[in-house]
Amino acid sequence: MARYLLRVNGERHEVDVEGDTPLLWVLRDELGLTGVKYGCGVGLCGACTSHVDGQAARPCVRTAADSAQTRITTIEGLSRDGDHPVQRAWRELDVAQCGYCQPGQVMAAAALLARDPDPDDAAIDKALRDNVCRCGTYPRIRAAVRRASRIMREER
Amino acid sequence: MISRRTLLRGAGAGALVVAVPVPALAAEGLVPNVFVRLDGAGRITATAPRPETGQGVRTVVALMVAEELAVEAGDITLEQAPGDTERFGSQTINNSTSVRQLATPIRTAAATARCLLVTAAAQRWRVPVSECTAKDGAVCHPRRGRLPYRALVRGAAALDPATVPVELTPPEKWRLLGRTRGGRVDARDAVTGRTRYGIDSRPPGGMVAVVARPPWIGAVPDTIDDTATRAMPGVVDVLTLTAPAEGQGGVAVIARSTHQALRGRDALRITWRGGTPAADSRAWLADLHSALPAQSPITGLQRVYQMPLLAHAPMEPMNATAHVRPDGVTIWAPTQDPGGLRTQLARQLGLPTTAVRVETAASGGAFGRRVEPDPVLEAVACSRRAGAPVQVLWTRADDMRHDSYRPMSVHRMSAEIGADGLPVRRAHEVVTWPLTVLPIFNNPALIKASGDHFPYTVPGDVTVTVRPAPLRTGFWRSVYSGQFLYAEENFLSEIGTRAGLDQVALRRKLLPAGSRLHKVLDTVAGRAGWTRPPAPGTSRGVACLEEYGSAIAVIAIAEPGSRRVLRVHAAVDVGVALHPSGVRAQVEGCVADALSTVLGAQITVREGHVAESSFGDYRWARIDQTPDIDVTIVPSNAPLGGLGELPYPPAASAIAAALAGDTPVTGMPFGTDVG
Repeated sequence: MARYLLRVNGERHEVDVEGDTPLLWVLRDELGLTGVKYGCGVGLCGACTSHVDGQAARPCVRTAADSAQTRITTIEGLSRDGDHPVQRAWRELDVAQCGYCQPGQVMAAAALLARDPDPDDAAIDKALRDNVCRCGTYPRIRAAVRRASRIMREER
Repeated sequence: MISRRTLLRGAGAGALVVAVPVPALAAEGLVPNVFVRLDGAGRITATAPRPETGQGVRTVVALMVAEELAVEAGDITLEQAPGDTERFGSQTINNSTSVRQLATPIRTAAATARCLLVTAAAQRWRVPVSECTAKDGAVCHPRRGRLPYRALVRGAAALDPATVPVELTPPEKWRLLGRTRGGRVDARDAVTGRTRYGIDSRPPGGMVAVVARPPWIGAVPDTIDDTATRAMPGVVDVLTLTAPAEGQGGVAVIARSTHQALRGRDALRITWRGGTPAADSRAWLADLHSALPAQSPITGLQRVYQMPLLAHAPMEPMNATAHVRPDGVTIWAPTQDPGGLRTQLARQLGLPTTAVRVETAASGGAFGRRVEPDPVLEAVACSRRAGAPVQVLWTRADDMRHDSYRPMSVHRMSAEIGADGLPVRRAHEVVTWPLTVLPIFNNPALIKASGDHFPYTVPGDVTVTVRPAPLRTGFWRSVYSGQFLYAEENFLSEIGTRAGLDQVALRRKLLPAGSRLHKVLDTVAGRAGWTRPPAPGTSRGVACLEEYGSAIAVIAIAEPGSRRVLRVHAAVDVGVALHPSGVRAQVEGCVADALSTVLGAQITVREGHVAESSFGDYRWARIDQTPDIDVTIVPSNAPLGGLGELPYPPAASAIAAALAGDTPVTGMPFGTDVG
């Protein structure tokens, strides 16, 4: 066991875990951030997608030791009241079914729009193709990313 | 006007055994029944009796209650019922029945509360009840004004509900049900990570267990060396689980944290014995082929179709949390049947049902897998040993390799073709496995009843031969319809192609007069621009299904050369579409399943174990493979129908036919070896 200082959602946390503990389990088990979802544990499904230093990243394939000195944002920290344009667009278009993959989808979409404010369908597909949704919400996800892009443009 | 007692008794048939109104006892609130209550401040709480797995049942419950109580869905606080069949009746979600079975009882429950409030207001004002109406959380009278519910709760609670007639709000006065506006009630929680799924329900102080599972089908532990595991930080205990009482069997490692449990499992040294270490799904498929009768009952056109194993693979892997105490047990589980689970646990543990509490967590998908209790049985065994709450977590590989799979099947289709190219007689010979998770399915008649929904007027027989299942099999969205209809519709498409017939026209001709399918087929043909020839390089497929009290027709448009599905059109008749966005979502979800299973997702078994372990090799469709999906809800006077499973079989059939172009389809996935 070792102590690691993590910066998560704007707060500093000290955790005492084995250094090879995946960041996913640190966030869920130690910090109670259960919005970060376990789906595969090997970086294949995207359910845990969060932001590390502003980029979409998969906490299941990063360790606690890797994550010290990085800036981590989870779905819980994306916005204060759930009103990030991506979250609003997701609600407007009634995207979620079971909802389990959606924190990861939302975080992946928010990271995409931060670097490409007006993505076309090909760019959306490329950014989100490794986020699996087992309920089949993909057509609504695509439409919601476009809607979020418009909301961001209108409010700029 | 119907009396409330009549309605509630009527609703009990098959759906809710007990929904008998309980007159309000609490001085502070109005509690007319188990589904709806108002507190002293007039705040409305509703109880969703069945689990939410993504099908949207909680939203429909909230909409029904809000509709009858003349408020907005957002004014309802929604609780999730724990397992309790005595209070809530059947709580299982299967066979696309939830909304069909809940609509009358829930609407009646909320209408009862409204009628009591309206009566209380009428008595206060000394005016006839008929002059009073409920609106925006208050009862209104043209001259007396308006009394908010909070001012009426006490008076309503004092009434004898048996003396107050109950009238449901008729569909023509609906403000919420059947309207297009409004999404899911849980939409904000879904995008903020606040939804608490089973996996998020471990109580404080709870431990985590993971299970070393058989490395080949049917193996049991022979020798177990857990020395290294027990020496690892955080590991609390190691125990052997014995199937079936303790789940599927294996060796559980209980630890303080998930990572410690996973590391502890890696360090176990187990030898295994028994089972079928050489099992291979290609050999299973050959066995199914060899069990076809030597001779088909019909000579004519013939085609054999083969279907693969499929896993459920919900995004939330299997898990369950149990806290076994000397006086009882509490379960937190993503389950499709909290009530049945409670009853089973009480029986199995020798406890009164009152000592078993099943907290129904949200499920991150279910698709039929979560009707089974095995993860819960594992958690109970682990918690009993640890003397603390324990969550059993399945890894993705555990989930994919120890599922209850959709059975493989072989279908020999034969048809006698008439002079006009249409089939005049048909035979459909099926060889498949039963569903091992429900032993009564070891019955060809039941399998036939589940799968045989051929909608066209071609006389002939469907026969089912059942072979022993070589691994666990279970309910998978649409159950046997998925396999049966795929063979039937693709065979019909081949017949049409050979005769150069229009696929929509031939189906229209073969549908019985008066069938609900005529309207959905015509509608979808219109939406898809069927009368125009397909664009160069594209081809189209069409299929129909009437089941679950609903009807659907699907047209898929694909580019066979690139194996891309471009568009899918569906027209559905569900009787009454209570939540249109939810209706479209179910169709979209089934289309995604159809796309995935036609394009290549399948489970294979090599050297005794399932080869696939995650979403890298179980190739579920991704966003970049997803076509545009156009769903039309056809107006209808039919009774409320089910929809969660209906679109999958025709969507898979239409997609395969479109991808095949003029070549015949021979199996699922399309264009890939099966097994």
